[in-house]
Amino acid sequence: MKIKSLLIANRGEIVIRIASTAKKLDIKIFGIKTSREPNAYYLRFVDEIIDFSQDQEELPEYLDIERIIEAAKERGIQAIHPGYGFLAESPYFAERCEEEKIIFIGPSASAIYKMGNKTIAKQIATKQKVPLLQGSIGNVRNHSEAIEIADKIGYPVILKAAAGGGGRGMRIVEKESQMERMFRTAASEAEKAFNDSSLFIEKYVKNPRHIEFQIIGDKFGNYIHLGERECSIQRKHQKLIEESPSVAINDRLRSEMGNAAIRIARAVNYFNAGTVEFLLDADKKYYFMEMNTRIQVEHPVTEIVTNTDLIELQIIVAENKKLPVKQDDINIKGWAIECRINAEDVQGGFSPSLGTIRRIAYPRGKNIRIDTGVTDMSVVTPYYDSMIAKLIVYGESRKKVLNSCMNALKKFWISGIKTTIPFCIQVMNHKKFKKGDFNTSFIEKELKKPYYQESTDEMLAAYVAAFDFAADLENDRTAFINFEHGKNISPWVLKKRIRSL
Amino acid sequence: MKLHPRRKSNPDEYIAVSQKDKKYKILNPFSEEIIINSKKTDIKIFESDDGFTYLLYKNKKYLVEITEKSQNKYTVMINGVSYSFTVESPISYMRKKYLDKQQVQCKIEKVNAPMPGKIIELLVEENAEIKEGEPIAILEAMKMQNEISSHVSGRVKKIHVRQNDSVAKGELIIEIER
Repeated sequence: MKIKSLLIANRGEIVIRIASTAKKLDIKIFGIKTSREPNAYYLRFVDEIIDFSQDQEELPEYLDIERIIEAAKERGIQAIHPGYGFLAESPYFAERCEEEKIIFIGPSASAIYKMGNKTIAKQIATKQKVPLLQGSIGNVRNHSEAIEIADKIGYPVILKAAAGGGGRGMRIVEKESQMERMFRTAASEAEKAFNDSSLFIEKYVKNPRHIEFQIIGDKFGNYIHLGERECSIQRKHQKLIEESPSVAINDRLRSEMGNAAIRIARAVNYFNAGTVEFLLDADKKYYFMEMNTRIQVEHPVTEIVTNTDLIELQIIVAENKKLPVKQDDINIKGWAIECRINAEDVQGGFSPSLGTIRRIAYPRGKNIRIDTGVTDMSVVTPYYDSMIAKLIVYGESRKKVLNSCMNALKKFWISGIKTTIPFCIQVMNHKKFKKGDFNTSFIEKELKKPYYQESTDEMLAAYVAAFDFAADLENDRTAFINFEHGKNISPWVLKKRIRSL
Repeated sequence: MKLHPRRKSNPDEYIAVSQKDKKYKILNPFSEEIIINSKKTDIKIFESDDGFTYLLYKNKKYLVEITEKSQNKYTVMINGVSYSFTVESPISYMRKKYLDKQQVQCKIEKVNAPMPGKIIELLVEENAEIKEGEPIAILEAMKMQNEISSHVSGRVKKIHVRQNDSVAKGELIIEIER
């Protein structure tokens, strides 16, 4: 069955990304307008806007399952793409779509549920003989139970939200004395983010690489993997720079890990796109971490090196069609790197940089792809995550890509807010990153200063300040002279001066 | 202190002092002969049609923006990184130096919110002794919980926020007496 209408239940750059494929496939696109971002850029890329901006509801718009379902039914919309975040990994949303005969572009509710529950996911991985880290069997009830397990498997350990993702509800515990407090903060963070405070515990591998595999399956049991993504450049478990392929993976390991990822997917009758995340230690041993049952922020690097359109494949699978590509068709060619451009102040501990983007200019080039959710005068609000755009650069080799990426970053100009661009340049410039010698502790351990500066930058800034200060003084002076000559003086000033005479 | 009442003051001389007290002496900022710290420096500043302000220096274009300005206090962003200065004339600079000397060394250390957010939990009480690096409060911002820790050891003099308070960036959270 061909999908002819699609509601994108999301915001920002991913709406624009999905809309571009939907347009290519001649699908009518619906988007949601909210009161928090009524003038958002993504709304220009949809054919019809569903206006939620006047309603005063308790639930945030993109999380209100019933309202979204109702809006889709009213308009006879055939399918919903959830994007990432929000409802993308809500089994209940997928189930409600199924019940209402709306095509949910993603896996089945039961696959989302099983993979979303870390405890069940780990049991599945164990059954499939995919290596994983020692830890609690199921959730831990309280900090004393956590201490008991940590004593058995040895510190450091990591506490993770059972329903988690995106680095929320996650704490590394180095010693027993930290456990009580860490348990409390992780549980409350998990409660806030996922409405579920349950935590589990596992052995923490120091300095691993974060390697994930993109897979996709259809409803006929055909699966392919599309190689790995290297996502080790993270801060507080938030990915900042991703690339594909990874310097740490050779062909043998790629096919071994890719097959492990497919085994896990097959075990839950998974269909549609998904990502299986692994930790890779210094000895190239890999451990299953979790599966993300959605399209991911960093999907473009995979699309480029495998020459695929993942959103298109998602739609094809959702239309009950067979995957049009086989494993043998997937060849990794070239190198791609993605820099997340977040509205964050890297000099102020990556704190949110809110405000209006006065002006934005993108680097251009045939090896550059920009996925953006903003334009001139877009407002960065505190309501959503801070990512405003993604810069994706590709080329023949990693070395060439790093070079062009650095040049592109230097031509990526934004005024009005601060972004992670100076951070990304600093990483591109780092000796160990260039050599491919890095892991998830890179930012913490190797990056002494998290932003790039040229030695003359401060002097140039000082000049700008002095120039402006001098210009203001000069303006005051000329205004005075003009008064003496009785010309070019504003009537308001003149009136005041006359009164004071 | 030595005053220089008869010092020949150049009307086009400015001193930009960075936060780390680095001094940039800038002569004739509008002229073709810009001199920064006694060195002739070829800089051009211009606003372009595309709405950005650029500097041209050594054949390279730099994006610049004044992000904050209040009287003589400036924050300038260049290549996405901010620099703060106070701009002085030679005379006001002398006065500032004199006043800075008079100021007694402050023993109260202030801890401010590093980002806007909500205080989820306060981990210390007033009058408590705390060590450097010890967490003081948990601040939630953009759905992440962040520990705010003390960068000095001392005694908690005053707590300015309560649990569940929303704070702005830079808002005073706690005062610590060293």
